This record gives sequence, C-alpha cells and structure tokens, in this order.
Amino acid sequence: MRLAYWMYEGTAHHGVGRIANSMRGVHAVFHAPQGDDYVTTIFTMLERTPGFPAMTTSVVSGTDLARGAIRLPETLRQVEASKHPDLIVVVASCSTILLQENLEIAARSSGVGCDVMVFDANPYRMAETRAADGLFTELVRRYAAPQTPTPRPSVNILGPSSLGFHARHDLIALRRMLRVLGVDVNVVAPWGASLDDLRRLPAAWVTIAPYRELGRLAAEHLQTRFGVPALCEAPIGVQPTLRWLNALVEHLNQVGARAAGPAFAPLTLPPLTAFSLDGMSAPSNVPWFARTADMESFSGKTAFVFGDATHTVGVVRFLADELGMPIVGAGTYLLKEADWVREQLQGYVTDEQFLATDEFQQVAARLADLRPELVCGTQMERHTARRYGLNCMVVAPPTHIENHLLAYRPFLGFDGADVIADEVYTTCTLGMEKHLIDLFGDAGLEDTEEKSPAGNGAPTPPVEVAEPVTRAAPALAAANGGAVAAAPAPVPTVVTPVWTHEAEAMLKKVPFFVRGRVRANVEKYARERGHAEITADVLLSAREALGA
Amino acid sequence: MPPKASFTREDGLYHSFCGLVSVGWLYQKIKDSFFLILGTHTCAHLLQNTLGVMIFARPRFAVSLLEEGDLSSAQPHIADQIEEIKREHRPSVIFLLSSCTPEVMKVEFEGLAHSVSTPEVPVLFVPASGLDYTFAQSEDSVLQALLPFCPVAPPDDRRVVFLGSVNDAIADDFALEAARLGIPVAGFLPANHFHELPPIGPGTVIAPLQPFLPRVANQIVNERECTLLSSLFPFGPDGCRAFWEDLAAEFGLQVDLSEREARAWERIKHHTDLLRGKKVFFAADTLLELPLARFLRAAGAEVLECSTPYINRRFHSRELQALEGVRLVEQANFERQLRSIAEERPDLVISNIITANPLIGRGVVAKWGTEFIFSPIHGWAGVNTLASLCTRALRRHAQLDPLGLDPVWTAGVMPSLPGEVIPLTRS
Repeated sequence: MRLAYWMYEGTAHHGVGRIANSMRGVHAVFHAPQGDDYVTTIFTMLERTPGFPAMTTSVVSGTDLARGAIRLPETLRQVEASKHPDLIVVVASCSTILLQENLEIAARSSGVGCDVMVFDANPYRMAETRAADGLFTELVRRYAAPQTPTPRPSVNILGPSSLGFHARHDLIALRRMLRVLGVDVNVVAPWGASLDDLRRLPAAWVTIAPYRELGRLAAEHLQTRFGVPALCEAPIGVQPTLRWLNALVEHLNQVGARAAGPAFAPLTLPPLTAFSLDGMSAPSNVPWFARTADMESFSGKTAFVFGDATHTVGVVRFLADELGMPIVGAGTYLLKEADWVREQLQGYVTDEQFLATDEFQQVAARLADLRPELVCGTQMERHTARRYGLNCMVVAPPTHIENHLLAYRPFLGFDGADVIADEVYTTCTLGMEKHLIDLFGDAGLEDTEEKSPAGNGAPTPPVEVAEPVTRAAPALAAANGGAVAAAPAPVPTVVTPVWTHEAEAMLKKVPFFVRGRVRANVEKYARERGHAEITADVLLSAREALGA
Repeated sequence: MPPKASFTREDGLYHSFCGLVSVGWLYQKIKDSFFLILGTHTCAHLLQNTLGVMIFARPRFAVSLLEEGDLSSAQPHIADQIEEIKREHRPSVIFLLSSCTPEVMKVEFEGLAHSVSTPEVPVLFVPASGLDYTFAQSEDSVLQALLPFCPVAPPDDRRVVFLGSVNDAIADDFALEAARLGIPVAGFLPANHFHELPPIGPGTVIAPLQPFLPRVANQIVNERECTLLSSLFPFGPDGCRAFWEDLAAEFGLQVDLSEREARAWERIKHHTDLLRGKKVFFAADTLLELPLARFLRAAGAEVLECSTPYINRRFHSRELQALEGVRLVEQANFERQLRSIAEERPDLVISNIITANPLIGRGVVAKWGTEFIFSPIHGWAGVNTLASLCTRALRRHAQLDPLGLDPVWTAGVMPSLPGEVIPLTRS
C-alpha cells in the first residue's frame, strides 16, 4: 500500500467510457456504486459534450448488497429503451468486481434485444489505456467481417477517441493529407464509428494507427486476419511525416498492384506545396524556422520530455532532429510501454536519462535536479514546472481544461509540426531578447518578477519561483508519501549553502527569469565542492565552471 | 407532529458523486486536519478530477491505495502512512474515510482507526463509502466523529452552536448577527481547528446551517439532551427571517424581522423580477435542493419539480411545509426527469456539473447545482449571491444570439453524436 495524491492514468472504467463515448450506438454500463459516475464529468466538462456521454452507472448500494439485489437487468432495459444502442458494454468497478457476481447471467436475464458484452476489465490489473485499447481491439475482433476491397484507394484511421490528446485536431490533419493524396477514408474508429463501420474495416487498402496506446492492436488484427497492411508510425514532425506519406503511398501501390495488376495507375506524392493550407506554400515552416538566425540562441536550450508512449517518442525526436535542442531526459508513465519507448529513444537519451515511473514525485525530483529550459509533459509536469519556475508545455494526457482549446491544434502531420514548434517557441524564454537583458540588466522587468516570464501569463506564486531546489525538495518529499520507502526519489538531503550579502547582491543582477535556475545551479556547485558559504568568489567560479 | 409531506421515491438512477467529495471543503475548513481515504485508484482519480489538482496547495488529503496484493489481507496496514502523515503535515486530527472497496472487503474500520489513534493525534473513522453516502452527506459523518470531542457544557450554559461548515466570512456574519439580536454564541461545529470545538450540553441550542446533517443533529440531541432548532435553513430573505426569529424565540426573545426581510427582497428586486413566473426544475444532487427550491418559490418562480437524494421528514419539516404543492422526488430517475423536462419545458434547470453541458446542448438553460455548495449563500449577506447564482444562467442565455442554438454549432464536437444533437425542448 502506498499514499497516492495523483494518478497519471484514469481507471479501467474510464477507459471503457472513452471507447463507448467515441462510438455511435455503443453504450457503457458501469455496474458500480453511484460515485463511480464521476467519470461522466470528465467528458461533459473537458470535452464540453453537447449530448449525454454514452455511459450509465447501474447503481449498486449498500442496501442492495445487504438484500442481495442486483439492478443491472433493469438498468439494461432502461438503457435500451431510452438510448436504443446496438451494443451495451457492461463493466464492473473496483468494488463490485470483488463480489464475484456472474454479470453474464444477470445481463442475459434482462432480455434486452441489443448485443450485450460483459467486458472483463479488472481494475486492479489494468488502467485507462489498457482497458480502452483492450475493449476496442475486442470489438474489432468481434465485428470486423470479410469485405470486398473498396474500388478506390482507401484507408482506415484507428485510434482517434474521445478524450484522446488533441484527437479531433489530429484527425483533421490526417484527413487533410489523405485528401491531397486522393485517398479515401474507409472508416475512422473508434471516433464516430458504429458497429457497421467496424464490420466494414477489412474493405480498406491500408490501416493507419498512429497511436501506440490505442488502435495498433486492432490494426495488427486486421493485417493478420484480413491482410490489410498496417501503418503504425506516428507522423510527428516534418521528416517523419514525409517518411510516413511515402510509406503510405508505397503500401497503397502494393495493394493496388496486387488487386488490379498492371491496370492500376500507381499513386505518386504530389508537390509538397499541395499539403499547405493554400495549396501553394511550404507545407510546414519548421525546416526554415529551425535554420533562421533567431533559432541560433534558442536551439541550445535543454529539454525534458515525459508523457505517454507516442507523444514522448514523437516530441523527443522532433525537438532533437528538427529544432536541434539537446534532450536531457525523457520518460513515460506507461510502464508497459517503457521498453518500447526506451528502444525508440536509443541515441536520444541514455539509460540514466530515461525514466519509467507512474509516480509524479519521481518526475518532479528529476526536474528539480535537471532544471531543463523546456519541460514537455502532462498536466502534472505543468504543475511541477510552475513550482520550480520552469517553462512547460503539455504534450500528452492527462490534460487540463486549458489544453482543450478551440482552434485547430493538431500534433500530427505538417500542420502539427508547426503547432508544436510554435508552442516550443512561445513557452521557452526567448533568444535575442534574453541576450539584451543579459547584457543590460533587467530592462525594467524587475517589477514583474511575480509573473511567469513566458507562456500563458498565469501568475506563479513568487515564493515557489524563488524557491531554490534544496528548499523545495522537502515539500516534494512530503507529497511523496509512501513511495519514498518503495523507491527513494533522488531528493538531496544536504544542507543549503548560505549566501553572503555580496554574493546575493551579485545574484540580483542576473535576469529574474533565470535567477532561480542560476541560484540552484550555484548551490549545487557549492555543495559538490563542499562550500558551506557562497561568497562572491564561489559565485564567480561557479559561473565560470557552469558557463552561466 | 410535522405534517405528512408527500414525496415520491424513484430508483436512484441519477448522476452524482460519492461522499468523498465533501473532503474538498472539509479539509480547508478544519485547518489542522488530515483526511486519509482508504481506497483505490478510482477514489484517487475521482478526487483529482472533481476537486482539481491541489498538489500545489499541499492538500491535506490523500488516498491510501489498495492494490491487488492488498485485497487478500485481512486488515490493511496503515500505521506507516499515519506516521508519515503526522511527520509531514503535523495534523491535530486525522479522519480515516471508508470507501466502497474496503467496505465490500468488510474492513473493520472502527478497530483500524483505534489501532493507530493516539490521545495526541486521534484517528477518527468516518463512514463515507459511495455504497451508502452521496455528495455532501459525509460531512454528516465527519461531524458525528467530532462530536465526542466537543466539551460537555453545564446545564446553565444557554448558548447557540451553529451546525455545519461555512467559511470564515459567513461564520463572522452569523456571530455578529447573533450578537446584534442578543443571542449568546458558543461556537461552530466544525470549528476552524480541532481544539476549538464548542461545548455542548442540555442548555445548548443547535442551529443547523446546512440541510445535509440530519444524523449528527439527531445524535447531538440524543447524547447531549440539547435543543434542536426547527426552522427554515438560512438561505434567502424568507429563510433568514424565519431562522433568526425562531432562534431568538429559543432564547425567549421576540423579534420581528419582517422589515429586514422586505429590505432584503428589495435589494434583489432585479433578480426576482427575472425569476417571477419562471418555471424551475431541480435535477440536482447536493442536498441543498429543498431550501433552494423554497427560496425560488418565495421569489416568485414556479418550481415544477424538486428532486434531491434524501429527504428527512423531521429535519426538513419546515422546508417541506413551505414546499407544499411542489412535486418532490427522492432518489430520482434521471431518464424520467429528462422526459419530464421535455414535456414541461422549464425555463431553468438546476442540475449538476455532470449533466449541465448535455442539458444545455438540448436547448435547456441549465445551472450547476454544485456551485451553490461552493458559494457563500448563507445568511443575510449571502442573499445577493444566492439570487444572482439563480439568475446568471438566465441572463447569459438571454443575452446570447439565439442563432447559437442551431445544431450546426455542435457538429463534430462529440464523436458519438456527429452533428445530430436534437434540441429537446426548443422547437
């Protein structure tokens, strides 16, 4: 047992709800205490759903347990009568699963006419991601049926889902590129798909499954069972998108040649300008942007990336390969995908720089230690970064309502590359401006110390910002709870060196938005060399040694 | 005998949260407390999603996480975690909250709490499991756990104890108002700190500020032989007047607050003008519904239905009396409510955070009931806040261009409903 304050992944029933709420005619029923209905809120609030999310809690109360009553059959009848679904997915909760009831029998006794599937999502063995992917794969296995291939080149897009990270935007980006290629979309699933759509999946020429977390297993099933080739790479960044487009065209041409023989006119990649919004510009501005003089002082900034599997890998590569940023660490909270992520990041981060954990305190400790100039993470890293005065952008779920913006902000494709680059640029402290401030002092910005320097302008608690790493660490250790005993976080326990007045005055001359980091680095330097006091002399030698 | 109020009870298939959400305000109210929930990933996920991530503020609540390996052990081992909480947070009192899973496992909570409790830092068991408790209800459990720590007041101590957690500003307001009327105050349950609990004895008058505390009220009366004020709850001009007049009467003071009430109504006239004749439907779950509906009715609105998770004939008797003629529903069925809403076309639905957006998507003007729980709506000072909460949604929707109701504006927002949101109540 451990003390938990915060979780990266949602529960298994939340994962089931995500699939049900993505699809048409599929409804989830939670055999659970009423409170488990809280997951509905995540959909109605974060996605601002104009309809009722496709999930119902079949309430289990203490009185029911005492009486041995089960309301599930009646709930199924009510759901069928009011929602008319094609399929109801029944799932137990963390408490009701212990009752070891036979939900199959209870469901059958309801006498409802639609399909009912009791999905075995043991909440102690799987969380949100595995439950969602497990259910979706199961549905594809169950419903996909042999089909005649579509006459024109077509693809399935598997993976976009309710509460998927920027899923709706990614889908638009993919559709845009496919339209330019002249390729039809056979089925998108689970987003907006019905059971009939799942039946039609094998008619596509190729399946696209860009997310490691959802859709890949279903795509593999379509490949082995129906011979539909699967393209499972994520087109994150300009070069990966180009490679992805080429691979897609190649797959389609192979399928076309096999089906139609020499009569098939192979697809070719159109001029890249065709992928731009106006059809006559660069499809992405990233390659030029990365080479501009502006980026000279920018690209040396260190970055740390933490998130799910797909986005961690995609963003690390993008920052390193396309913006030229040094990566000082990366990791994932999806422990089952940790090996894959580590392997994908070979050559980008060392094993020591890699972090696989589902305890946010460990990520926080790493951030406190590294003090990167850019943190790419989840909502939790955004909080941690704020605490340490670091710049952070959210690149993976779980998200905050602030990450559910209205404008088109994909992560995939050429459009996505521009979106990510813009986000990096506006999140980081700027390049040239920083030089000017470095040179001439604080440029009158001292008064705004309590504001966060870049980013969204949300006020940052001043104490937290100024807090040097050694003072902030105990607060983290406090939040760390039982995890400390299980896996000690690298929290330094050494004494904080004391600053002399003179050194403190010199530190004041460092621009405010890097002062916290300089303070921490100098203290680290002093500790490593056993200085109990930071004098002007120590500060100067530290700055020399650290190049600060 | 209270009059036989009539209400119907349905099957309870409505949308709500479990009692653990009470932690969201209680840990802030009792400033030297810590709330430890013995629960699962689900409890932790619930708290972070409903209470927001409060890691920043170093929340004084956490989940002692039951994982697969813990399910087979007879009694969970929480001693180390209690020590850690004491070390890191230095609370004066730790509340140990139950949840559904350990409830099903039949964890013996009283014994568990007792085994880690010390005279210096008591660990108190609080039943809060979602199997039995909803929303604000577990405040009732927390206060029951605190009661033994309230000193026993001598019989000649004739003072009032206000029952229910309110923020400091509201508490000051009630203390001042009592002083103005000459009513002596012993304190508040809960108080801001564990060691500031008010003395309660046979001379005490318990004045409930919150309508979701029937069990603790009953327990106090039974154990301390004190008097329980039976009045309206202090919401709205009508509620405040009845509350203070009745409370004063308990102390032998005859007060006439009719002018005060009239002035309060006058101050919110621009709100009541808007509410008059409006049809309001309650499909909420905070347990504040009865007094809110009573206020809206007094403000001139027509309450089509007031549903609430639980109705207590005795504790709510005055509210029920004032709501005579209104359709009252306990443990509502939400699908039935949707059908009623479609038929009766209310102008305003007081709903909750779970259902508000989908209702608005159907062309209904809906308001989160949850907001009433987190807003200072008590007492004379809360009248304006209460009234403006009731009218804000009406004003906002009236101000927006009606073209926005066209389904085209929600096309593609929700994958399971691509462009097919059918307005239910507006043609």
